[in-house]
Amino acid sequence: MFEGLGLLAGGIAHFLTPLSLFNIAWATLLGIVIGALPGLTATMGVALLVTLTYKMPPDQAILCLMCLYSGAIYGGSRTAILLAIPGTPASAATTLDGHPLALSGRAGLAMGLATTSSAIGTIVGIVFLAFVAPLLAEAALQFGTYEFFWLALFGVVISGQLTAMDDPLKGYIAGILGLLVAMVGMETLHAHQRFTFGIPALGGGVDLIPAMVGAFGFAEILGVMKRTVHARIVDSGDRVVPRLGEVLKYWKTTLRSGIIGTFIGIVPGVGEDVGAWASYAAAKRSSKEADQFGKGSQEGLIAAETGNSAVVPGAMIPTLTLALPGSAAAAVLIAAMFIHGIRPGPLLMVEAPQVLYQIVAILLFSTLAILVFGLSLTKPLLKVLAVPRERLMAVVYVLCVVGSFAITQRMFDVYVMLCFGIVGFILREMKYPMAPLVLGIILGDLLDLNLRRGLLLTNGDPTPFFTRPISAVICLIIVFTILMSIPAVSKRVRSLFTRNGKPGTAAG
Amino acid sequence: MTEETGGQERAAPAPAEERAASAMARADLIAALVFIVLGAAVLYGSWTMPRLEARRIHPLTVPGLVPGLLSAALIICGVVLAVRAARTPAQDGWRTLGAALVSQQAMRAGIVAVLALVYTLGLVGLLPFWGATALFVFAFILVFEIWLAEPRRTLMQSLPWAAGLAVFTAAAVTLVFERAFLVRLP
Repeated sequence: MFEGLGLLAGGIAHFLTPLSLFNIAWATLLGIVIGALPGLTATMGVALLVTLTYKMPPDQAILCLMCLYSGAIYGGSRTAILLAIPGTPASAATTLDGHPLALSGRAGLAMGLATTSSAIGTIVGIVFLAFVAPLLAEAALQFGTYEFFWLALFGVVISGQLTAMDDPLKGYIAGILGLLVAMVGMETLHAHQRFTFGIPALGGGVDLIPAMVGAFGFAEILGVMKRTVHARIVDSGDRVVPRLGEVLKYWKTTLRSGIIGTFIGIVPGVGEDVGAWASYAAAKRSSKEADQFGKGSQEGLIAAETGNSAVVPGAMIPTLTLALPGSAAAAVLIAAMFIHGIRPGPLLMVEAPQVLYQIVAILLFSTLAILVFGLSLTKPLLKVLAVPRERLMAVVYVLCVVGSFAITQRMFDVYVMLCFGIVGFILREMKYPMAPLVLGIILGDLLDLNLRRGLLLTNGDPTPFFTRPISAVICLIIVFTILMSIPAVSKRVRSLFTRNGKPGTAAG
Repeated sequence: MTEETGGQERAAPAPAEERAASAMARADLIAALVFIVLGAAVLYGSWTMPRLEARRIHPLTVPGLVPGLLSAALIICGVVLAVRAARTPAQDGWRTLGAALVSQQAMRAGIVAVLALVYTLGLVGLLPFWGATALFVFAFILVFEIWLAEPRRTLMQSLPWAAGLAVFTAAAVTLVFERAFLVRLP
């Protein structure tokens, strides 16, 4: 306990240098701008920044990437409130109440509340990160081959289920496609090259960064340029800095949303958008003013913004302790950490416990930066929203090309980016979520290696996969999740509950 | 929103939504067939993959095991998707899907893709990187501001911006990456 506090103080002190503070400032501000620009998402920003930071020392590179990530998740709220377009998918729920507030002449209040809620949400998440991650890391030391196989499968299944709420089948298909992509190249057990078709560049497999730049960069450009919608900025010029009473009035909602967001963050591959929607739905269910939701409710705005920001630290919990990315942007962070020689996973707390507390410190600093920038730079950020996307997207595409090329300096990665962009765009148009695909690419190797290594250890006997206690639990959760996503089964299970008990008690 | 549905928005899906759903059902059917074919191809590839008998590895640890299982899962999902899509009543589904594929939106996305492909596969390598980049940014802005914009801008309004941004992007990217990060650009 005290050792943890000491490490945390060390983490904070570590970044109290002029260079670090400068990096925090520009990266958070860049994140806010990227988040505010419709069509530029947090994941895309982080993926492109990996290139720009890879010559930096590891701690400064991770600092810049984390600050950009949390800044971008916050920045999306600005666009949601003033333009009614979510700047990133994470702020879709913010649009519902943020924009009506702006229309009624309280844009300043909405922006102020969004800022404070984001900050509080991140802090709730940070508290969990600091306390839960070391415990989870310790528990994860017990995990063996069998457990890691199930965890990898669990990540893809749960991400497929939760990111495609209306149609889990499409989520599962996206996950399987991602896992299949991971099968290309040299496998790690017998060093056999799979599906390389004689192309030497495929021997090393498909790199995550170019794939992410394609699926979240180029595909997004295609999606944004497709539409011809023009939105009008609503601004009222009222007071932006909220009163303490306004911030604390819905403290229960704030706390609840922070906790929900953190837990959604912990679930692998389920990101900020789901965190915001889940918090918003929970707030609406328990609110005394539920009829105001969607019409400019401050409570709804607070719930959505607290929920999406709490996901960021929450997502870092499985990312750091299990190397299972908690969100799509966290998947890029894992790739970036490997580039910089930091190996996330159960051994991180043994090998380099300071990394976790440095990340906690980074998130604290970026929260401060968000508060300062969010409450002060109202007018300059309005200018950002007026940038025409025709001009912006051309430049962003150039960055996508350079970003995918620069890390290994081969054109093959640019072709990978192009393929993932076009295929990703088509899949998105058909409502396939991208997060399970990405999770599949990153977890494919873990799944493949641990299944076959487990079978090798037992000489072909699969029973330990089902009889070891943790394995059995994860396996049951996976089976239950898949069964519940079949409409006929879930209807029957629900009818069982409503017949035996009162419908209300079954839900609560 | 039409007048009849103004009061009760959830009563029946709007015709536009219904059309989109039927087009989606048809698109799902095509996608399902693609997934089944892809799954079958991967399954074949996994089955015929070397089993490394000479190295006496355990038969359950062959390299083709996991790709084979995954392709089987993909085939199952593809079949479920196909059956579900075929069962969905989709009036005029094919026609709506065809219309969506030749719509203005599809054309805009197609033009972005063509510009990007010409730039990445053609110009980069043929011209120095800064030249290719300047040309791409210039063409992209002009195409989308003068030709495909609503309302369109005049050439005189757009030209300075397009030229300026093209030169700026090319110079900035080249300087930042080649001088500051010492990356050899394509």
